[in-house]
Amino acid sequence: MEKELRLMKGNEAVAEAAIRAGVDGYFGYPITPQTEIIEYLMEANPAETTGMIVLQAESEVAAINMVYGGAACGKKVMTSSSSPGISLKQEGVSYIAGAELPCLIVNVVRGGPGLGTIQPAQSDYFQSTKGGGHGDYHLIVLAPASVQEMADFVDLSFELAFKYRNPVMMLSDGAIGQMMEKVYLSPQKQRSTTVPIWATTGKPTTRERNIITSLDLDPHRQEIFNEKLLKKYNEIRENEVRFEEFQCEDAEYLLVAYGTSARVCQKSVQIAREHGIKVGLLRPITLFPFPSKRISELADQVKGMLSVEMSAGQMVEDVQLAVNGKVPVYHFGRMGGIVTTPEEVVENLKSKFLKG
Amino acid sequence: MAKIRGSIVVNAERCKGCEVCMVTCPTGTIAMAKEVNGKGYNYAYPANPDLCIGCANCAMVCPDGVITVYKTKI
Repeated sequence: MEKELRLMKGNEAVAEAAIRAGVDGYFGYPITPQTEIIEYLMEANPAETTGMIVLQAESEVAAINMVYGGAACGKKVMTSSSSPGISLKQEGVSYIAGAELPCLIVNVVRGGPGLGTIQPAQSDYFQSTKGGGHGDYHLIVLAPASVQEMADFVDLSFELAFKYRNPVMMLSDGAIGQMMEKVYLSPQKQRSTTVPIWATTGKPTTRERNIITSLDLDPHRQEIFNEKLLKKYNEIRENEVRFEEFQCEDAEYLLVAYGTSARVCQKSVQIAREHGIKVGLLRPITLFPFPSKRISELADQVKGMLSVEMSAGQMVEDVQLAVNGKVPVYHFGRMGGIVTTPEEVVENLKSKFLKG
Repeated sequence: MAKIRGSIVVNAERCKGCEVCMVTCPTGTIAMAKEVNGKGYNYAYPANPDLCIGCANCAMVCPDGVITVYKTKI
């Protein structure tokens, strides 16, 4: 079936894509800059068309626990928030990861720490990829760089979430969430009627009881469970790495950037090449699993790397680990809700690698 | 030739404070308000309404279509 072309905000695109992906439930709480997601869903009222439940919870903590409950029943459920709201949800996220449940959490990042600002930032990289909540767990983290990807990644997120029984985080930011762009929307999918075998929907006489919990008081059993999780994360690291390369073939210097920064860096690559500096761009699409292998390979080709992020330098640590000292790796970024300009990136690249 | 005078109306609640209209305005009519809207954004407003020539550049570049432009001949 043909895709429908619309002009939409990133937040609206996520909401519409969720309806079309056949999501069963959305539970959220408004916060700038992601409020349009819940606004759009409330107005669309998909309960009457697809049967998707949209509910404004009394708080972020309530919303994530509603997701926990919905996911335990084998439903496709999601929530969204922005940085401070995502911090509130972290206990629930850890429990969901501990109970091995699939769900989608959308984070439209704003400047921090604390309440910070309401403008775009990428300062939740550590929170998303290294934990955020407590315990040994990982989220699968997808970083969209366009309104189109915000729409497309809804379906992809649920595919990965159910494949690995693991929560997926879509790490967007205030720029992509608020940006108006054209977007091709997939045709409407029916909501699934099949129930996963692990879901807690009532016990028939034909099988053992399904138990969804993150609690085990026996440390030996818990360790075996931790090893099972680790095996799953390693499998994800092996199979689900996604990234995009832009003019890397003959690059002497490499920019590494995701999301909004990657869009800025595409222009920086052009400007740098007009000045005769051979620069390429690697855009990680999955932040966990991180494209370490490819970055390590490129480290044999380039003279240096610059990690461009709207943060004080978070992803740069993963780039450094991947490069493992082969070439110098630096960070450049604006903070607090300011978006880097392409010229600033080129100037910074020059000052760090081409002095004198 | 008759002079044209313009005037703009901003839907402040839908404005996200991206400032694109402000830099596009050729006469410096638009500025960002010190107050914020319901979402917390400093919204665009006609700070110097007498300078508006009704060129509608602001309305054309606004990504969210929050600006309406009126023109009158005087």
